Amino acid sequence: MIKIKSRREYFELSRARRRIVLIFMLGMFIVLFAQAVKLAAFEKDKLQEASRQRQHREIVLLPYRGKILDRNGSLLAESTPVYSIMADAALVNFKDVDPTNQAKLHKKKKQLANLLKLSTMDLDRKLSNRKKRDVALRKNIAPDTKIKILKLKISGISSNKVYKRFYPENGPVAHIVGFTGSDGVGQEGIEMLMNESLAGKKGKIRKIIDGKKTPRVIGEFQSIKLPKDGADIRLTIDLRLQNEAYNALQKAVEKYEAISGSAVLLDAKTGEVLAMTNYPSFNPNGYNKVGEFIKNRAVTDVFEPGSIMKPISLAAALERKVVNINTLIDTGKGAYRYQGKFIRDTHAHGEIAVKDVIKVSSNIGSAKISEKVSSNNLAAMYKKFGYGIKTGINFPGEVSGTLRKHTTWKKIDHSRASYGYGMNSTLIQTAQAYTVFANDGKLKPISLIKENDPKISKRVLSPNTTKAILTILESVTDDEGTGSKARVYGYRVAGKTGTTKKIDEINGGYSKDKYIGTFVGLGPVSNPRFVMAIMIDEPLKKKGYYGGTLAGPVFSRVMSKAFEWYSINADGSEIKDIQNNKEGNADKIKL
Amino acid sequence: MKLNLILFVVLIICALTTVNFKHLTRNNFAELDVESKKTLDLKDQQTMLRIEESSESRIEIIEKTAKHKLNMHIPNQKEKKFIIR
Repeated sequence: MIKIKSRREYFELSRARRRIVLIFMLGMFIVLFAQAVKLAAFEKDKLQEASRQRQHREIVLLPYRGKILDRNGSLLAESTPVYSIMADAALVNFKDVDPTNQAKLHKKKKQLANLLKLSTMDLDRKLSNRKKRDVALRKNIAPDTKIKILKLKISGISSNKVYKRFYPENGPVAHIVGFTGSDGVGQEGIEMLMNESLAGKKGKIRKIIDGKKTPRVIGEFQSIKLPKDGADIRLTIDLRLQNEAYNALQKAVEKYEAISGSAVLLDAKTGEVLAMTNYPSFNPNGYNKVGEFIKNRAVTDVFEPGSIMKPISLAAALERKVVNINTLIDTGKGAYRYQGKFIRDTHAHGEIAVKDVIKVSSNIGSAKISEKVSSNNLAAMYKKFGYGIKTGINFPGEVSGTLRKHTTWKKIDHSRASYGYGMNSTLIQTAQAYTVFANDGKLKPISLIKENDPKISKRVLSPNTTKAILTILESVTDDEGTGSKARVYGYRVAGKTGTTKKIDEINGGYSKDKYIGTFVGLGPVSNPRFVMAIMIDEPLKKKGYYGGTLAGPVFSRVMSKAFEWYSINADGSEIKDIQNNKEGNADKIKL
Repeated sequence: MKLNLILFVVLIICALTTVNFKHLTRNNFAELDVESKKTLDLKDQQTMLRIEESSESRIEIIEKTAKHKLNMHIPNQKEKKFIIR
């Protein structure tokens, strides 16, 4: 211990201490000053932004997702408010010492459980952990149920509003409309294709908040940007025809125990898709939207078109003037050996005129006609009809099909191509191809979204050839034709059936009992307004597998409704009977 | 001196105007907020009504009503009448 002997000595020591303290304080001031300079000069922007974030709360304003409507304004997709019922387990209390209150609380609990479609035991279990302040009791509650729940006035029970996409028409339009994911972004169909237009633009409000632990908005706003709602999308689909096509397909698929069916109906004058449906379908409102039936098979799946290509290969021959409709073709006894392979017909037709080759759907006849046309010309004609090229409908997942380069064709490939084998296409391509026969030889661009811009058609065939083919196609729906079941009472219709063997994926080659039945037709023949293509995949062979049998009735049913709903003038032979005052099935009303 | 006085009065007026405009902006914002909420509620109601309308106007419902309440049926071929102009 230091002993201080005099007052002077005391102050001497004190001065030394004072100096140390002074130097220390000076050092501290220098450090503080340096820190102040650093914060003010170098970190100013960062700190100001952090301060703004603490003072301001940015609230995102979500836009309303646009609706999807059919051509007549019927609703196909809409965002609807749904609610999640939340509970603060610490506040919810269904117990009271007073028996009267206890009875009331018990009653409320029962009502709440009923509205939430839960048992009281499940409700108790969810609320058992008193530390949980944010328990989701149930999601996707309808607004009226939410009102009933909040009217119970149970402390600790609240609701959160969210928007959920709702598809009132379910299965029949599911493949076209598609659906959105849980994040509200389109995942399939039009929801995906038009996501940007449908989604709109988010807005935001910036508000000042207080500095408490749980921040509270104290009112004054800094900026506001209102959200821009998504645009409504109007499709070319006619919901009535869509439902009719779906129901007719369902009946055919179930009757013939087929795997699936697809149908496309086009307005031949405008190229608009009036119906495009597949059966089986799926429920876009459900949660498990997975599986093979989610695809819009009319645009994503390809198949060998078969006999529905015969009128097109014949058109190529007629255009080159290598045959006329009365030229005789010897189809022999139903089997024709060509390049070491057999081409077969279902029946022996002998010598028949070119026009009857299509009527009876002779493969031999088509092959023999095509021998007079070069591969180059045949392939070019198919391409002009839209085969091997996407239709331009821009539907997600659309494929172009396969049409091999004619330079790679062998003679047998050329021959097979004339009756629709050795190539593949989608159903919508086939429907579009037949608009040529309905439009005086012009191919119509097709659309699924309603637009005002006129579409320019492309000439593919001369009017004379088109007229000749149309007459031949009409004969297919005669009593002796393969498409008699496609006839529509009071109207003249034309079309072509197709029955294609499926490829045997296990053993290779063509399967002996797996077929695809198709029909593509148009009507009324006097002034074609509609084109429809139908495909039934893999019917049970013993129940029937010919395209005319499977798909013909679907065509007839949907077309008769289309003629009726679009007030199309009847041109059928029945009307001529009435006009000639002969005995007919229908009555005459004079205007 | 006079200039100083004038500037002082202008300053006071500007200050009061600023306060007043801030107050008006706050009021307008509050109104906008209320109206936005009303718009959203009305949109929700419109949505629900539209869905109700779409489910009530379904062709199956119309056909069911026509069949059961009005004793109507879809005409068969013999009952169909063609209008010939």
